[in-house]
Amino acid sequence: MAHLKLYEYALRRLFLLIFVLFAISLIVFYLARGALPPEYSLAPYITPRMTDPQKLQLAQSLGVASASCPSYQAFSSHDPQCSAPLWGQYVDWLRLVAQGNWGYSELPGLAGTAKTWDVFSGRFPFTAQLAIGASIVTFAIAFPMGIISATRNNKLPDHASRIASLVGYSLPIYWFGYMLQILFVLYLAIGGRGLLQGSGSLATQCAICFNSPGTISTFTGMTVLDSLLSGNFPYFWDSFLATVLPIIALSLATLSSLTRIVRSSMMEALRQDYILLARSKGLRERIVVYRHALRNAMLPAITVSGFIFATLLGGVVLTETVFAYPGIGQAIVFASLVVDINFLELYVLVTAAILVITNLCVDMIYAVLDPRIRY
Amino acid sequence: MSNLTETEEVQPQALTGRRAELRHAIVLYKQNPVVVAGSVIAAGSIILALLSSFLVNPDLWRMEQLNQRLCWNNAAFSWPVVNIFDCPGTTYPLGTDAYGRDLLRMMILALPLDMEISLTIVISAALIGIVLGSLAAYAGGKIDEAILRVTDVFFAIPGLVLAIVLMTVLGRTLENLTIAVLITWWPIYVRLIRSQVLSEKERPYVEALRSTGASSLRILFLHIMPNTVYPVIVQMTLDIGNVILTFSALMFLGFSPNPLLPELGNLVTDGINYVFTAPWLIVFPGLTIVIVVLGFNLLGDGIRDVLDPRLRR
Repeated sequence: MAHLKLYEYALRRLFLLIFVLFAISLIVFYLARGALPPEYSLAPYITPRMTDPQKLQLAQSLGVASASCPSYQAFSSHDPQCSAPLWGQYVDWLRLVAQGNWGYSELPGLAGTAKTWDVFSGRFPFTAQLAIGASIVTFAIAFPMGIISATRNNKLPDHASRIASLVGYSLPIYWFGYMLQILFVLYLAIGGRGLLQGSGSLATQCAICFNSPGTISTFTGMTVLDSLLSGNFPYFWDSFLATVLPIIALSLATLSSLTRIVRSSMMEALRQDYILLARSKGLRERIVVYRHALRNAMLPAITVSGFIFATLLGGVVLTETVFAYPGIGQAIVFASLVVDINFLELYVLVTAAILVITNLCVDMIYAVLDPRIRY
Repeated sequence: MSNLTETEEVQPQALTGRRAELRHAIVLYKQNPVVVAGSVIAAGSIILALLSSFLVNPDLWRMEQLNQRLCWNNAAFSWPVVNIFDCPGTTYPLGTDAYGRDLLRMMILALPLDMEISLTIVISAALIGIVLGSLAAYAGGKIDEAILRVTDVFFAIPGLVLAIVLMTVLGRTLENLTIAVLITWWPIYVRLIRSQVLSEKERPYVEALRSTGASSLRILFLHIMPNTVYPVIVQMTLDIGNVILTFSALMFLGFSPNPLLPELGNLVTDGINYVFTAPWLIVFPGLTIVIVVLGFNLLGDGIRDVLDPRLRR
């Protein structure tokens, strides 16, 4: 294969990103519109108190029903006269989406009153702060643990960290979340009310908190960061406590797998000849491990960060459901139960975009760090 | 004729070589407490799953099986005579649930269902992976590119999210749950087997076989496949546990076909309603999931260590 320049490779990958997003939106769209009754695909665009003729007109203008459809009753009872071709529906749907119109959210309590996009973008920062917190915890703990495990190979610390990471990898996130709740609420109540404060973090003006910590201004939407930026420390403490248990539950699986990867790549690096050379030169062990071995062992660990992000974005669904945390992961479960197709579509597309861009960045970093890599 | 005598001469040596290999693997196996523990747990859970219908009445989980008490002399008002929320003790080792069913028996009943779904998914995913992965590696060119792009699409969505979307559309039955998890799972095997076959394809022995005029299919299935089987077996062993985690998570999220169904994730979900009043209902089924998944993870990890040629001799 001809050697591509780095930016050419990046452009090729960005082109693939567009392809992947198109393919995903097509798959989800065809699945949903093809298998579900036609009313479901119309539901996000209907406002309450619409009359049947208005609904029919809407369905026709959205391309969901064909122009020859006689009535809304016929439309909702699968009249073959009413079925517009799916590809045509897709084109019309895509046009709406390109204009930023995702219709109204059908999540419980919001039906027809809030825009899907607003609900999504309002909840997204909460998930982002969980995912960012969990990645910080993952990287901050996995590297030291992996290094200790590799340098004290087959000694007590190694066995302990190996067993801990295997157990962590085998724990169901949702079950572990409830175990944490039992532990911290029933047995270890810290500060008199425990660390369990999932839903208290939703409001910018915290009215349902025990001692109201006041208001914060919105910069990023992430409550932990915003409260710190606006200098409201009681609010910061509250929202920080609310994220502690979810972050522990969420980072468990990624933490364990990253520890294992750091350990094995560290052991691989320590076996190499240049380590022998470094040691025979009389370098101190600390320099051999951290400067010579670790730098080379970092590479495989960086490649899996894409995978770690994927695991986190899947894990937030469970963690947020367990802790009633108001992010998009909790919302997708609601959306699935009330069959809110547009929300599902939005969620899947945003997640996919994040994952593909993360993987692209990882590959770029890899190419910069390792001069042997050519595309 | 000379060809035949040659193979006859070579055969015994190859056999002793293979036997030595096997003996070495057994020695490594015995030295490795991790893989021994893993195989004990994995074998134990499979045996318990197979024996489950002999140990426990398989219909025990249905409400009709509980002793009924007739109220107001009307069949419509017949209520089970139950012993709900009995705490773990001598009568019920792990307590009873909200319907008065013995939790230990429910867990023994749940095991075969979990193992069956998990094995179905893992084996089907591996078969799809073998077919598509070797096709991609062997055909190359446009077919390879097309298969890779399709797996790209699947890798761009977290498995659990894709399964949620599928379950939204498909409807809640055990079959659909199996299909949804399988659809999220097969791309891993396609990638794994493709990369294995690609690296084997360039080996000198394949070239030698091709020069003797062996057909591609023969080379692929009789010579390349046996050499790629170990990584696939390791991945399958690890995935048996991971699949259990994924579909029990789906059960937890509300895609269970029947809340009474004995399935480990379903039992945990049922216990969640009583997490602060009857915690044993969530603690024990969850612990069972952890032990079974841990067993298969230990086994897969151990098999990798035992079979890894770099760690040998």
